[in-house]
Parts: sequence; structure tokens; C-alpha cells
Amino acid sequence: MKAFAVAVLAAVALAVGASFLLGANQKYAYEAFSTSGARVSHPGTNLVGPRWTGDVTGPADGHKATTGS
Amino acid sequence: MRQPSHLGTLAMAALVWASVGLTQPAHAVNAPDGAPNPTASSVNEDLLFRQAPTIGGRVSIPDAKAANLIQPQGREWRDFRESWLPWIGGLAILGMIAALALFYFTRGRIRLEHSEESGRKLLRFNGFERFTHWMTATCFIVLGLSGLNYIFGKRLLMPLIGPDAFAALSQWAKYAHVYLAWPFMLGVVFMLVVWVRDNIPNRIDVQWIRQGGGFLGDQHPHAERFNAGQKVVFWMVIGFGFAMSATGLVMLFPFAATDINGMQIVQGVHALIGVVFIAAILAHIYIGSLGMEGAYDAMGSGEVDLAWAKVHHDLWVKEQLAKTASGPQLGRGQVPAE
Repeated sequence: MKAFAVAVLAAVALAVGASFLLGANQKYAYEAFSTSGARVSHPGTNLVGPRWTGDVTGPADGHKATTGS
Repeated sequence: MRQPSHLGTLAMAALVWASVGLTQPAHAVNAPDGAPNPTASSVNEDLLFRQAPTIGGRVSIPDAKAANLIQPQGREWRDFRESWLPWIGGLAILGMIAALALFYFTRGRIRLEHSEESGRKLLRFNGFERFTHWMTATCFIVLGLSGLNYIFGKRLLMPLIGPDAFAALSQWAKYAHVYLAWPFMLGVVFMLVVWVRDNIPNRIDVQWIRQGGGFLGDQHPHAERFNAGQKVVFWMVIGFGFAMSATGLVMLFPFAATDINGMQIVQGVHALIGVVFIAAILAHIYIGSLGMEGAYDAMGSGEVDLAWAKVHHDLWVKEQLAKTASGPQLGRGQVPAE
């Protein structure tokens, strides 16, 4: 029973260690494949902005403006 | 001014003819009024496939794979994965379960004979050997279940638990599959190092097989530390374990070793070996637990009854007793039998 418990703990510890090691060497697609001439979108964004105006920082549809007359 | 030779003129004419012939569609189709039909005479898929096995475009990002537009082998792989693989996997695993059930209900559990119990224990697997076995085994069970989820999950599990729960479960199953693969691979290497010496096939194994491992005839055949059946299991685990590791590593680092077609082939090989591996290990689990009384103790506590060991692994017992009268294989103050 002791050997079994140690084996399970070791398996979990090795798996967690592997996840950190592999994660440290991985890049998201938008990081790995972007260049100065071509941009791969960050997840959750697109190239034209939420209102298709080219302003990628603009407010999304449904967002109420806080300034007004 | 130098005139071009006739030969050169002919060569140029042939080159122009060939280039025109290659760029023209095979069958230029005209509309009824005689005007060229731009759709019918444009470059089509068939024409492109006559020039290359895949159709690709051009991309400006550093990911050349993104240029791949149509890869016909992908359709074959999808057909295999969606139709052949579930059938092969289902038949292999359910077939093994049915065979084991048939064996159990006809032959029954292999009981210990009275003469196989002496009350004196012999160490069969030390702590590191049991650690290695259980680390590999627990990883294998999780890898097997999460691997089967890739094939059968959306067919069997999703209708039962719903798409949201299935998505969450599959995400965690994928993490488990990818990360528990590492202790599994380490375990297979440990097994090879620890047990290879006792698993080299020899003449005793031939005799063991001829006697059906004791099922044919009245006597138990001679066996060393591992009998021929156990050696088959060992080499199966090592062979399949290394094959699964190699194909799994190719998939863990996509496109590092091969292209998209290679990735699909590797996935198919990994899945096919996987379902056969699972079916074979089901038989190993059966004989090591329900199928044979006392078999679990060898890997549970590490100790077996000395009389049982003399019946099933007589040559190994002799060797152990000859080594030393008070060695570590007879722990806890026990004395050798003879």
C-alpha cells in the first residue's frame, strides 16, 4: 500500500512538473507567428476593432458613452 | 549579327508550346455564342491536384502551415478516425472483456491449492519494483480512459452528461493525458531497467508454453522468476510503451518532426496501438486480481507464500534460497524453507 501511495504521489508530482516545464516553453499563436508586417490577433481581439472602425481600443457595441452633452 | 541556330529555334518553340500547354486548362469550354466561359475555363481543383498532392496558398506570417488549403489525406484520416477506429477499438476492448467473462464463468477463479500455502513468506517484488509498477499502472489507467474519451466520448459520454460537462471533462482529461504521459514514460524505462534481466526468453519458456502454463497435464511447468506468459506481458508493455511514447512525443510537439500528413499517420498508429494495449492490459489486470487467487499479493505486499512460489516459480525459489540463507529476500526474521 505504501508503494502504491508513493507511486501515485510521484506520478502527480511529475505530471505537475511536466506541465510547468512544457508551459514555460510554449507560446500562444499570436506571440509565435506575429511579425512587424503581419499581426496575429490576441485572443479576444480582432484587427478592425469591435465596431469595424479600425480602432481596436474603441468601445464594444452596447457600451454606453460616459461623456455627452 | 549572329543568327540563332535551327536547334535553338526548335528548342525555344518547344518550350513555348509546353508552357502554353501546361497553363491552358485541359478542356477549354466556350459558351453557346462562342465566347470563352470564364468559369469553366478557369483553374480548378482537379487541375491543381494534377500538379501537386496538396493545394496551398501564400501567407506572410511565419507559420507556413497556415498556407495549407486542401490536403486530401486529411479526408482519409477523418474517415478512419470517425468510422474505422471506433469499430476497431470497440471490438478489441469489448471482445477482450467478453473473452475474460467467458473464461471466468467457464473456468472460474484459479484457486490456491492447499499445498500452496505454507504460511511462510518470500519477497517477490521489492519496494522500488512495486513503486515502478504502480506508477506506470495508475498513469496507464488515466491515459487509457482519457484516450478512450478521444474516440468514444462524444458518442457515449456527451449524450449522458451534456455538452458543457463533457467539454469541461474533456479539457481536464486532455491535461491528464498530456502530463501523466511523462511519469508513464519514465515508468516504462524503469521497468525495462529493473526487469529486463529476468525476462530474456529461453528454453524453459518453450517448455512452459508446450505445457500450456500448467493448464495441460497434471504438473506445473518449471519457471524462473517470470514464466513465459509474464515475459510476453513484459515485452508487450515495453514494446507498446515505447511505441506509444514515440508517437505521443511526436504529437506533444506538433509539426516538430513531421508535416500534417505525418501527424495524421502518427495519430492513427497511436490510437490503434492504444486500443490493443488497453485490451491486453485488461487481461493482465484480470489474471493479477480476479482471475488467480494470491496473484495480487505479489504486487500488493510484495510477498508471496513460499509454497506457492515453489509451485509456480520453482527455479526462481531454488536460486533465491541458494543465494543466501538470511538474505534480504527472506525478510522479517524468516528462515529459509530448506
